[in-house]
Amino acid sequence: MWRLLSLFWVYLAQYLKARMAYRYDFLVQGLTDVVWQLVNLVFILVVFTHVPTLGGWSRDEILFIYGYFLVPYGIFACLFNLWDFQERYILRGEIDRVLTRPIHSLAQVCLENLDPEALFGVVTGLIIMGYAGYRLGLDLTWYDPLVFLLLVVGSVLVYAGIYVAIAAIGFFADAKTGIAPMVWNLQNYGRYPVDIYNRLIRIVLTWILPFAYVGLYPSSYFLGRETYYVYAAATPVVGAVVFALGLWAWNAGVRRYRGVGS
Amino acid sequence: MYRIEARNLTKTFKTHKSRPGLLGALRDLFTRQYTTITAVNGIDLLVEEGEMVGYIGANGAGKSTTIKMLTGILMPTAGFLRVNGMDPHRERERFVRTIGVVFGQRSQLWWDLAVQESFRLLQHVYRVPDDVYRRHMGYVIEVLDIGDLLDRPVRKLSLGQRMRCELAAAFVHNPPLLFLDEPTIGLDVLIKMKVREFLREMNRTYGTTILLTTHDLSDIEALCSRVVMLDKGRILYDGSLEELRRRWAEEKRVVVEFARPVPVEDLNRHTADLPVTWEQEHPYRSRAVLHQGDGALVSSLLARLQTYPVTDVRVEETSTEEIVSRIYAEGMARA
Repeated sequence: MWRLLSLFWVYLAQYLKARMAYRYDFLVQGLTDVVWQLVNLVFILVVFTHVPTLGGWSRDEILFIYGYFLVPYGIFACLFNLWDFQERYILRGEIDRVLTRPIHSLAQVCLENLDPEALFGVVTGLIIMGYAGYRLGLDLTWYDPLVFLLLVVGSVLVYAGIYVAIAAIGFFADAKTGIAPMVWNLQNYGRYPVDIYNRLIRIVLTWILPFAYVGLYPSSYFLGRETYYVYAAATPVVGAVVFALGLWAWNAGVRRYRGVGS
Repeated sequence: MYRIEARNLTKTFKTHKSRPGLLGALRDLFTRQYTTITAVNGIDLLVEEGEMVGYIGANGAGKSTTIKMLTGILMPTAGFLRVNGMDPHRERERFVRTIGVVFGQRSQLWWDLAVQESFRLLQHVYRVPDDVYRRHMGYVIEVLDIGDLLDRPVRKLSLGQRMRCELAAAFVHNPPLLFLDEPTIGLDVLIKMKVREFLREMNRTYGTTILLTTHDLSDIEALCSRVVMLDKGRILYDGSLEELRRRWAEEKRVVVEFARPVPVEDLNRHTADLPVTWEQEHPYRSRAVLHQGDGALVSSLLARLQTYPVTDVRVEETSTEEIVSRIYAEGMARA
């Protein structure tokens, strides 16, 4: 683990060095992300100019959940940038090179695709949470930051596990699959309180693709929504389980990998 | 200890057949028909420390699949495999520390980084101590003559420059066993010679065992004491290049030119007691086909020609290239 961490810094330094050559690009990418997050923010604000509450949740509570969501999401997007994994690594055969190096293949793929710009989202998220929390008059105890860290780690692992499993499908399929965009659409539901959806979606978001653990459930701990405390407490466990499943799928994929071409 | 020990190594792939037409595609959705392709069919291969082995075969013979099994990328379907004393796929992370891999068509280097930075990253990946790295890489860089390229980004290198850097990258951790897949593809003659010289040097200095696949047989003539030839997943030949030539080479031919027309019947009569047949190309030139390979025959033949006004003599020998392409064409039939 320490070894991976030290490699993380080496790769990050190299990445930044390479990126410095395109300083302008770096800035534009970061700005695009911030604009995208602002659009989402405006959407929430606009909705609430029409309705006072959404399924019993106030504007500021929803904002808080959105702010929380941005934090694990930003970390996930920085570390597990696996969007075009199948295209780049399987179909073009780059995975062969990865498999001839003495580090776990998933760690290597992640390290090679670090996306530090995504961390802008973490800052945006913290600001939104701060603003919403202030408006709601939330009190913080001394251990709340630690709980926050633990929950964020859990949420990151949920995301990572799901997307690693999806990337692992690439090892089995010969051609592109449409699963990633489908899941991508579903994940956005996790940012809003699940009780505004019907039962089926609620079950999916809690038990099958547990995106509710990357927004609603952990946030409700800070919002004092006691109905969801159990789920909030379960976040790290769910994260560990989902990530373990994702990793298992990945390893199974590496065993099954058959290579391309001659 | 063997560097590579493979017994009855086999790899099969299952692929589904797609039936033609829209109806076929629809039926494929429900019942898929599978075909099994045997890419590598029970090969035995023993490679000892310090050997340089050329692994050749036509496209689709199973070369790459073998290399991918030997390097731990693919898991064998059946058979016994130990490389550097380990199971390549099961002990992958430990195993790959002891091998170097260069795929001619695929880069090990980071596209946007300077060559030097790529080497440094690999140094961290393989955990090579600084002093070892400096001493060893200094030597590698000198032999490959890439000192001037170190500060340039990889994307700005020519193919020849990049290939030499790829080789250096494969030696960052000084592996005892090196796999090269088409290392000289697309390189000009001078760079090819430099690459070969480097490989010989590493083999001499460190005793590096090298297994290389290539379509360019001059690579093998320059480097390998041993050649393994693969066809349709089976080993067709395993031995020295000379033996291969001896076994498959056609008869030697001697082309003789004369100052005046010489009828082929005269020539045949003159050499009737030698294992030689003459073919006439045109009145001034005939070709003697020697049915026996030893050198003395050529001198006996020339002695018989003393009475003729010979202007030129040329001995024709089949090139390795020709021999090998003929074996590919004939396949197992003659093996």
